[in-house]
Amino acid sequence: MGTVLTYTEAELVLGLKSRSEKHFGYLYDHYSPALFGIALKVINDETVAGDVLQEIFLKIWRSIERYDTDKGRLFTWMVNIARNTAIDTLRSKAHKQGQKVQELGSNTMVTEQFAVHQSVDHLGLTKVIEQLNKEQRVIIDLAYYKGCTQEEISKILDIPLGTVKTRMRNAIIQLRTILKQL
Amino acid sequence: MDVQRYISSGIIESHVAGLVSESEAREVEAAIQEYPEVRAAADAVQQDMERYVQMWAVKPPAGLKKQIFERLNKVEETVEIPLVEEVAETIAEEGSFSMPQIPVLKMWQYGAVAAIALLIGSSIVNFVFMSRVDEYKEKYEKLTEEQVALSTEKGAYVTRYQEAEKEMNMLKDPAFKWIKMQGVNKHTGIVATICWNPESKETYILAQQLPEPPEDKQYQLWAIVNGHPVDAGVFELGNMTKVLQKVKNVTNAQVFAVTLEKKGGSPAPSLDQMFVAGKVSG
Repeated sequence: MGTVLTYTEAELVLGLKSRSEKHFGYLYDHYSPALFGIALKVINDETVAGDVLQEIFLKIWRSIERYDTDKGRLFTWMVNIARNTAIDTLRSKAHKQGQKVQELGSNTMVTEQFAVHQSVDHLGLTKVIEQLNKEQRVIIDLAYYKGCTQEEISKILDIPLGTVKTRMRNAIIQLRTILKQL
Repeated sequence: MDVQRYISSGIIESHVAGLVSESEAREVEAAIQEYPEVRAAADAVQQDMERYVQMWAVKPPAGLKKQIFERLNKVEETVEIPLVEEVAETIAEEGSFSMPQIPVLKMWQYGAVAAIALLIGSSIVNFVFMSRVDEYKEKYEKLTEEQVALSTEKGAYVTRYQEAEKEMNMLKDPAFKWIKMQGVNKHTGIVATICWNPESKETYILAQQLPEPPEDKQYQLWAIVNGHPVDAGVFELGNMTKVLQKVKNVTNAQVFAVTLEKKGGSPAPSLDQMFVAGKVSG
């Protein structure tokens, strides 16, 4: 994002902390697609994901004072809020529980979602999806986007508990290798 | 800490993917604070993960920004200070990178399932051991029975052995005199033997070939001194025919004789009922 910003991250944070709606508008314009992408991937329902995105930005607005630049980048902080809010919503709805596993059981999800919602980084995503195998995509989705614990992943994928972390690590290493080539 | 080893352990990837427990997450955070190499490694993984996240970026529906700003102002007006609940929430968000843990209700459910499983397991084990207890009890009782039978048998053998030993000793002892009593009158052919020690007065009878007496009768031994019979006691037949039976002590005797008398013996012998008699030699 660096070059397209008209604000540096420090300026943006400062503006947000002083409750500037202009800065907040800028934040929304630049980061909402990424955060909506997270909500959508977690929830898999556009309407609910929209509600979740509202919650995410309200939380960012309310808790920006507590954001500490020393602890990490602003985007990392916002991604964490987005993931936690979306996963909380996913988990708080009982009917979603069953749906979650079902969705992941059918591995068409990734491509379906990709087809329906035009990704911002179309080309990059196509390449990543092509090169990450199904197994690796599913395990990243379960852990990162569905907030599943090791035990849950072990049950869903029917693999030993000890294998979960190894497979996860290999998936991330593979993902990083692909990203380097882009 | 071996930093390189820590980095290559995969814990950082797991942490970024949200796969670690709360305590592990704290450990990783501490390592990131302490070691610049760990921080660099964690940042690199984090940034790549964020690149992946960015790839999934989708433009939100058009009206959403307006809605958020409306709520923003509303929230601003009504709630200046965040609710306690929200504070807790945001602290949790900032404090750790870990995923939401299993809800409390679910934990109870897991607990209950585990408890039931344990109960069933323990019942099975109990059942198995109980049936084994019965089995062992049975074996124990059987062994006890066998042991009792064996010791009875052993007792019998000991008695037999002691008797045999006693007889052997008497045979070897030159003080004992052996007097063979032959059948008299119509009883010719039957035999009984007396074993007598004139010094100690001990007297035994071996009723080898006497016929079994009637129910109400019993054989009686007499020591005859100068024509006068002296009672030497009654004795048994049956099983006792095989062993030397001790009778009354005999002080003096020239002849030994056996008569059939009423049960318990008679003060004087019925001479017509004499079966065997034998003279003491020497």
